[in-house]
Amino acid sequence: MTTTSTRRPFRWGLLLAWICLGLAIAISVLPFYWVLRTSLSTNGSLASNSANLLPADFNLGAFKRVFGLQSPEEALAEGGSGGSINFWGYLLNSFLFAGITTAGAVFFSSMAAYAFSRLRWKGRDKVFALFLGTVLVPPIFTALPNFLLIKNLGLLNTMAGLVLPYVFMTPFAIFFMRQFFLNMSREVEEAAMLDGAQHWRLFFQVVLPNAAAPLATLALLTFMGQWNEYFWPLLVGSDESSRVLTVGLGVFKSQSPQGAPDWSGLMAATLVSALPVLILFAVFGKKLVNSIGFNGTK
Amino acid sequence: MRKLSTTKKTLSALAIAAVAATALSACGGSSSGGDAATGEVNYWLWDANQLPAYQQCADDFHQANPDITIKITQTGWDDYWGKLTNGMAAGTAPDVFTDHLAKFPDFLKTKQLLPLDDAVSKDKVDLGQYQEGLADLWVGQDGKRYGLPKDWDTVSLFYNKDMLAKAGITEDQMSKLSWNPQDGGSYEKVIAHLTVDKNGKRGDEPGFDKNNVATYGLGLPGSDAENAGQTQWSYLSATTGWTTTDKNPWGTHYNYDDQRVQDTISWWAGLIQKGYMPKLETTVGANMADNFGAGKAAINAAGDWMISQYKGYKGIELGIAPTPQGPSGKNASMFNGLADSIWAGTKKKDASVKWVEYLATAKCQDVVASKAVVFPAIKTSTDKAAAAFKAKGIDVSPFTQHVKDRTTFLVPITDNGAKVAGIMKPAVDAVLSGKAPASSLTAANDQVNALFAK
Repeated sequence: MTTTSTRRPFRWGLLLAWICLGLAIAISVLPFYWVLRTSLSTNGSLASNSANLLPADFNLGAFKRVFGLQSPEEALAEGGSGGSINFWGYLLNSFLFAGITTAGAVFFSSMAAYAFSRLRWKGRDKVFALFLGTVLVPPIFTALPNFLLIKNLGLLNTMAGLVLPYVFMTPFAIFFMRQFFLNMSREVEEAAMLDGAQHWRLFFQVVLPNAAAPLATLALLTFMGQWNEYFWPLLVGSDESSRVLTVGLGVFKSQSPQGAPDWSGLMAATLVSALPVLILFAVFGKKLVNSIGFNGTK
Repeated sequence: MRKLSTTKKTLSALAIAAVAATALSACGGSSSGGDAATGEVNYWLWDANQLPAYQQCADDFHQANPDITIKITQTGWDDYWGKLTNGMAAGTAPDVFTDHLAKFPDFLKTKQLLPLDDAVSKDKVDLGQYQEGLADLWVGQDGKRYGLPKDWDTVSLFYNKDMLAKAGITEDQMSKLSWNPQDGGSYEKVIAHLTVDKNGKRGDEPGFDKNNVATYGLGLPGSDAENAGQTQWSYLSATTGWTTTDKNPWGTHYNYDDQRVQDTISWWAGLIQKGYMPKLETTVGANMADNFGAGKAAINAAGDWMISQYKGYKGIELGIAPTPQGPSGKNASMFNGLADSIWAGTKKKDASVKWVEYLATAKCQDVVASKAVVFPAIKTSTDKAAAAFKAKGIDVSPFTQHVKDRTTFLVPITDNGAKVAGIMKPAVDAVLSGKAPASSLTAANDQVNALFAK
């Protein structure tokens, strides 16, 4: 009797917490469920079953369309576009695009960050401020000059043209790594210096190994951002050999003026294309949150 | 959805800027054409429904001309024009593409199209075989021809047969509607009666709750002003004797300051006030056809290219009725046509010309007709398409009747198409959402005409 009465107020609070938590989970998971539900539905039945939580006329046709397993006639009959989608090719391009830019940006940005945090040179902080200032320039401003540059270089519709604007550095990455390097204790480096290590060696053998956690975080963030990048690949990678998944998914959008998109195909493709990022996040998510918290750049 | 559309807009804007920047260099290379008619010709189209038909045409063409291969790329309407202008700027545009009348003047201005006159006279293409007026649409202000007609479209009313029956309206009544801009005639009466609120009260019954409507009498996709009201209000305004421009094609003066069009749009916007049509803001990110499929609208005015989509909704008995008769005593529909054009920057000029000419023959257009998706431009092929639709159980006579009775008027073709759309869309949006009276279109019209004053 006495034990329960002392416990009861505590339990109410716990119950409330669980309800809130459950609600929050439901709100964040429901959209994903809705994507899944729509992808398993038949287009023609979606409109009349909009309030139904279960798939409308269960059908795997949408996934077949995504993987290019349906003939144009079959696809059209199910409300698809009949347009070809070279899913595995686009997937490979997406991996290459996101992978190359991530590897490049992380590597070069940490070198730059090292220079901004460890080397002493005249005007260093001013140059850094200038670099940081470029964060303020909306990417859309540079889209047209970049496009013309890539065009004049003859790199349109090539992977090189796709990755060039991203591969060397992003201001955010430099800022992120510099903050981390500034917080790293210098003692180990000084010890290494006394042993005769030069900057190259310091960077590769002392600084980088110690920065594994923030490097992983930065790589993950960059990869996710690049994976979802749409506008630049749309401008530059328009032919089969350089089209990435985000652009390729356009085949599921509205095909005629005032027409409706191929909803189930679009949702199936969205689900499939989101999977790699979801998996990455599931594996590394905790590390990422920890590292950002540790770094203080929330 | 919204994010995508802003990206789309920025993309088109960028692409246009890029086209302008490189137009000169692009057309400089075109004059050096005159190659052998061999190789791969890139062909673009947007309507996925027509892809199987044109693939068949391409295969037949390749059989007859083994030296030429046609590579078809289909891109949805939403991305098609941005990609095309982008391709023109980048020098990667397709050799041949499906062209639209609303976009064609801008391409002429930036010199992106190849004139076809020499080829047409040399190969004796019979321009009389197409539905009347279609071939003339593709002649520029310079008197040169930049496209050969492939298909045409008109507008009709799609309706839900079950809803009509429940409302006690016969299909015969539905096919003989009349309209005027003052009280809306029998058209408005039918729309009102087909509107049902959440309590089951109809729009013309006392106690109708216009703020809680379950089924709207008439669907709405948006103000449609960017297309000169093609499917939404031009079929009404044209019956008042009003024309969009002083002459067509290549008018230089717009008439949105005219009382007749303002009355029409004012009546149309009034349907929203009365609760018979969805509010403009609810159309953003929504799809009118899908709403029809969900039973949220009883009538939708739409073009014939939408037939297969409307037919595809499960559980809906689809009926098609002619647009209502107006003050002129006749009904009306905008007559729009598509054509195949050749990009001026093509490196496969002769092969492209061959392909465009083949697309414009009865041979290919009969193939398109047999698939029952659109109406081909050649008269005999149009009839075959109507028969193919009939075999699918769809009576398309409301669409073809417009052409037979000559109740069509041509889509307005002028310079500055994109700029006119940029001015008129927000102006008509404002009227539809009740923020401005229809008389405010006069000010927008002045802005539009100022574009031509230079």
